[in-house]
Amino acid sequence: MVSPGALRVVRCGGGGQRGARAVFSADSKYLLYASGDFVKVHSVNTEETLLLLCGHADLVTGIQLNPHNHMQLYSSSLDGTIKLWDFMDGIPIKTFTVGPKLLALYALASAEDSVFVVIPKKGERDTFQLVSVKLTKGAGQDLEGKELSVVLDGVGASPKQIAFGREDSYVVSVKDVNLQVYFFKLKLLNRFSLSTAKTKGGDNSFSCVVCHPTEDCIATGHADGKIRLWRNFHHKKAYTYSALHWHHDTVMDLAYSLEGTRLLSGGVESVLVQWHNESSCQKDFLPRLGSPIECISMSSDGILCCTLHTDNRISIINSNLRFSRSIQGLIKSRDVKTGLVVDPRTKALVLNGEPGHLQFYSLQSDQQLFSLDIVQRQYIHQAGLKQSELVKVAFSAQGTWLATVEESEEVADPELQLKLWFYSEETQSFALNTRINTPHDNHITDMCFRDMAELGDDSLILVTTGRDCVFKVWVMVEDSDPEAHQSVSWSCDFVGSYHNYQATNCCFSEDGSLLAVSFEETVTVWDSLTWELKCTFCHPPGNIRNICFGRLTCSKYLIGATDYGFLCCWNLLTCALEWSAHLNIVVLQPDPLSEHIAAVSWLSKESSLFVFKPSEPWPIYIQRNLCKEKILLAAFVPRDEPEMISSEKYCWLRKSQLFFLTDTQELMTLSTKSLEERLTPSSKQLAVEESLPMTPFSVLLGKHRRQQAQEDTDLGKPVVHNKQEQASPAVKELLHTPAHVLPSASFLCTIFINSLLISKENKSAEEVADEVEMESEKAEDDSDEEDVTAMEQEDTSHMELLGEMTCKLSKSQEKELRKIRKMDYSWISAF
Amino acid sequence: MVANSTGTQLAIGCEDGSVKIFQVVPGGIQFERNLDRRKGRVLCLSWHPSDTHIVAGSIDFFRVIDVTSGQTVQRIMVNYHVEKAKRECVVWAIALLSSGTVVSADSFGRVQFWDWEQGTLAESHTVSTSAVLSLAVAQKEDSIIVGTSTGATYHLQLLPVRLGGLEKRWVRTKPFQFHSHDVRAVAHSPTALISGGLDAQLVIRPLMEKVQKKSYDAVLRKFTFPHRRLVSCARKARLLLFQFSQYLELWRLGSTEETGKDGEVLPLCRMPEHLVQLKSKGPEHIYSSCVSPCGTWLGYSTASRFQLYRVHCDGDGVSLRKVPKVPKLLPPAYQLQFSADSESLFVASARGSVHVFQLLEPGGCKHLHTLRPPSGCSEAVYLLAPSADGHWLAAVSGDWAIHIYNLKCFKHHCVVPTYDCAVSAIAIHPSTNNLVIAYSDQQLFEFSIPEKQYTSWSRTVQSRGLHRAWLERDSPITHITFNPKNPSHILLHDTYLLCVLDKSLPLPDDSALLMNQSTLKQLPETARKRQLHAFKICKKFQPLLFMDLLDKNCLVVVERPIMDFKTQLPLPVQQKKFGT
Repeated sequence: MVSPGALRVVRCGGGGQRGARAVFSADSKYLLYASGDFVKVHSVNTEETLLLLCGHADLVTGIQLNPHNHMQLYSSSLDGTIKLWDFMDGIPIKTFTVGPKLLALYALASAEDSVFVVIPKKGERDTFQLVSVKLTKGAGQDLEGKELSVVLDGVGASPKQIAFGREDSYVVSVKDVNLQVYFFKLKLLNRFSLSTAKTKGGDNSFSCVVCHPTEDCIATGHADGKIRLWRNFHHKKAYTYSALHWHHDTVMDLAYSLEGTRLLSGGVESVLVQWHNESSCQKDFLPRLGSPIECISMSSDGILCCTLHTDNRISIINSNLRFSRSIQGLIKSRDVKTGLVVDPRTKALVLNGEPGHLQFYSLQSDQQLFSLDIVQRQYIHQAGLKQSELVKVAFSAQGTWLATVEESEEVADPELQLKLWFYSEETQSFALNTRINTPHDNHITDMCFRDMAELGDDSLILVTTGRDCVFKVWVMVEDSDPEAHQSVSWSCDFVGSYHNYQATNCCFSEDGSLLAVSFEETVTVWDSLTWELKCTFCHPPGNIRNICFGRLTCSKYLIGATDYGFLCCWNLLTCALEWSAHLNIVVLQPDPLSEHIAAVSWLSKESSLFVFKPSEPWPIYIQRNLCKEKILLAAFVPRDEPEMISSEKYCWLRKSQLFFLTDTQELMTLSTKSLEERLTPSSKQLAVEESLPMTPFSVLLGKHRRQQAQEDTDLGKPVVHNKQEQASPAVKELLHTPAHVLPSASFLCTIFINSLLISKENKSAEEVADEVEMESEKAEDDSDEEDVTAMEQEDTSHMELLGEMTCKLSKSQEKELRKIRKMDYSWISAF
Repeated sequence: MVANSTGTQLAIGCEDGSVKIFQVVPGGIQFERNLDRRKGRVLCLSWHPSDTHIVAGSIDFFRVIDVTSGQTVQRIMVNYHVEKAKRECVVWAIALLSSGTVVSADSFGRVQFWDWEQGTLAESHTVSTSAVLSLAVAQKEDSIIVGTSTGATYHLQLLPVRLGGLEKRWVRTKPFQFHSHDVRAVAHSPTALISGGLDAQLVIRPLMEKVQKKSYDAVLRKFTFPHRRLVSCARKARLLLFQFSQYLELWRLGSTEETGKDGEVLPLCRMPEHLVQLKSKGPEHIYSSCVSPCGTWLGYSTASRFQLYRVHCDGDGVSLRKVPKVPKLLPPAYQLQFSADSESLFVASARGSVHVFQLLEPGGCKHLHTLRPPSGCSEAVYLLAPSADGHWLAAVSGDWAIHIYNLKCFKHHCVVPTYDCAVSAIAIHPSTNNLVIAYSDQQLFEFSIPEKQYTSWSRTVQSRGLHRAWLERDSPITHITFNPKNPSHILLHDTYLLCVLDKSLPLPDDSALLMNQSTLKQLPETARKRQLHAFKICKKFQPLLFMDLLDKNCLVVVERPIMDFKTQLPLPVQQKKFGT
């Protein structure tokens, strides 16, 4: 636990779903899916993230609704525990510690007190077994689940490779080219295997399996794109299967409709195929889902189905195979080459999205704002095909201009295009202004804008550096051609080079007067008005990896990081090295709103963060072991309003927030707040409100109540009624809070009794009148009161979770941090 | 045209929409009566297993006819459920199951199951986008095979919906794509699915679940060529006679005077010459044909007639003259064979009899004798082998018994001990008068005619057993000849290989490589000696139709490349194939 005062790393987007199927709640209003270490609860109607169930210490591998209580959810994780959640309130009810890594979870209606999990077999690598875990009934919250009994051996590790059949009478497991069926009642195990020979280039191995809900039929997906429907599999010899074939690549997942009349399949083609009546002739398609389908799940009422995609997108699809809505957070692209860029206009994070697209990701709502098609070419999924890829992106300071660079994948002779986009206020989107073919003869390594608000549009300059040993300066020119659609276009103004070295990075100083371009080992500084070389710096050995200018009070400094693990700071006035430090810097990111610079180092499998001011040779803040993954990119995102941070150590977070992207494309940030605060309370309200279904009965009941209230007022008994009303919040709280989080009965008793007492204050006549009015608006009041309870509830949970540790830890931690700070003075020894 | 289950009645559907019932009487059929006639051609018929009803498929509908009353009791439009069906729906195949279910296969690619009494559709399976042409039901009525015009066959099975449940449903299970063209006929044996199509192939696909153990039956088999002799050779005159379905062609072989090494193509000094084409009269197919070794006689037979011609070669010109007054034969000849000295002709006939004709110059023939097996035989003779010295004649009849006759006294000599398999080829050794027999299960026997017993070599073969790879081949030996230079050499061939069997060499055991000719070539002389075994196999030919030794150092081989007649086939149904 980290005290609220300390900084904590918060995962805020991205990450993979890793093959666990999503689950619809029983009423199909919520969608639950595993994302990293969490389970996310989404509203199906609003696409909003309502809750984040956190508590697992490792990847969540399987989620299943409790078949005996549809408001509860089982989740399993690699940390070896099964948790039972109340997903409406986001409260963990029970934790069962199993021990070994759990790779998949299945909960059956027929098994009263046990669930099935896949665990690695002891003593053998890469062999897994399906075991049933007896969930002991105990009073406490943490329970042991050590009673394991092996059901099947040699199963696959993926949750999609095991399925339970009609009425849970049998279990099927597929692995490689083998299929095994175990009948629980008959205690009969049948194994079937396909030929391993790869006939006609096809690969027979299984990829996934599902069972028909009402008939004895097993559908299996295969690596060659075939779907086989197995029947009669209780006979060792007389089994039979038929094949459906449309996919050209691996069938990633299958799902049967509620009645079993339709079968859905999806794969890398990003097309959802619906097969009717097991016939290969009748099929429907839902194409252009954007990215490969990884998992398909059906809601329990069969109205909705949802597909999880490899790029973290979730599509919700109607039963008539119409695309309904999509939940997309940070889209996972194959390779983030553009870096993390902040759109100055929307404050959205901009990076590679779908192939050839630029995604604008809103950090506040964890949603994709929009996707801009840059390459404007059809993406064809095929192995070995050379695609055009977006590699560099730069925004001008006001966000009016966007420069993009795309290149084809060929290494030797890249096909380069530089595109300049202008933000049009009318259409509220970027429009292509200039396209420059082959701006450089080789890969473009860096690109930046110079623009200064005070000088207006004329000052806008774009600099690109390339491996063809030059940097080029592009300026806007007035179009003389009267027939041209636009008044301005871009053209090359200056080409600079230095000793025929490859240009690697470029950076403008804050006032725009100086341009720093790094050429392998050397940093050159150029005057941006006359384009003459001012001075050069170098810190051999090692090429320059990153450069940046200091800001505000530190604008006289130039910071550079080299391959050989040095961070150097040069003074531009004296043209001398101010200080240097031995650090393997991967990311160097200046805060645009302050003089702070964040540097992330990568050493011996851990990333560390250093925040420093160029003027001072010691860092303001150090966080060792930021995360296990390698941090590839970072960005400072300006806050809408400066946050009030009391601690001097974290003042660099006041104006902007630092975000990181790891190599698994997980977005992380540093926050002083605890996680729960980040979720807006409004969404929680929604959860409570939505949990009351609008049934005809409830409508009737509501009407009846209102009538009754009306009658009450007519009868002139408002005072008595009102007292009951007043008392209700405490009572309601008592009733609404789950039993296991309630304080002891003795504590509650006084509150309860108090609530029943008639308050001493005498109400004035006006107040009574007011209350009559209030009663007519009873419905709204009700909901308001519920809000209150929800808030309180939340608070109590906070207290429970964090309250005890707050003071103690903050002290001890501060001590520790002080120690670290003392120790770390030594790292500036190189100076 | 379908016979009923007991084989006493024959129903024939006509183009005019009538169904005629014929009574099957010994030696023929007798018209019984006409059933209810409706408009629309009858394309397919099926009897109910209890013979009470007939179902007849037409265009757009099928009807169920009560046999006893002759009335149509139900008429079902197969197209009723399809809205806006512009094309007509042809019911190509139909079956009436004992449960009263009618299975119809139509040109829309559907296999439909109807309850004919209610007239309701029970199930419909769209198995293909192209027409379903043929249909066959298993004896137990739990399995159906259908053939489509794309060359694919589909297997439908009646399977329980739930484990142990009573409710059963037809499920399309496995598709098989063995043919490139229309599958016109399918059959369902208890253990295998058999299909034949326009691409001239017969495919037997065993049902693995019905086969108890791995054996000869458990292998997929494809037949492209008939296992019969279609080419005959006049050794002395160097003529080849090719038998086509409607005509015969006589060719003179080219020759060369040069010799060369292995693999070389020698230049011809005389080109092969097409001498004459002989068209048979009438629509009947030629059943068998033969040319005499001296090349002066030529005979062929169709289902009803037998013709003999005298070939006159004068210089370059060739003329044929029909031999008059050929004795009428009833029933027709199944196999013709001239004796080695071209003086007599053997005609294999029904009921195990062989007629012997004497050929007279300058163009006549006389019925000499009819050889009959002593015990009588109901099956026709389909293979004949005369000995080179004109002393013996071996005849194989349809019951797989091999009778040997003495031609000098026209007497039955002996019977080769019966082996429970069909004989695929026989020949009598010219010097030792040993009869070499090849059976369709790849077994080889050698039977000494004078001693009336198997030879010692044959006994060794049986005790040692043949090589497993040899037994697992799937095309039977179709022709046997002998090397006159080396009496221990037997030349065998089937569709894919030519084998020289050297009786003097040891038999290979299962561990040895059967086809070792290429490896032998690379070995040094001494090692080669050790590796030698009796089977010398050459597989370099395209499908082999015929092979014969002309003289001591000349072998004629007739190939029939599959591509040759594939190109003559009509275009198959165009199908989009993914990735092409």
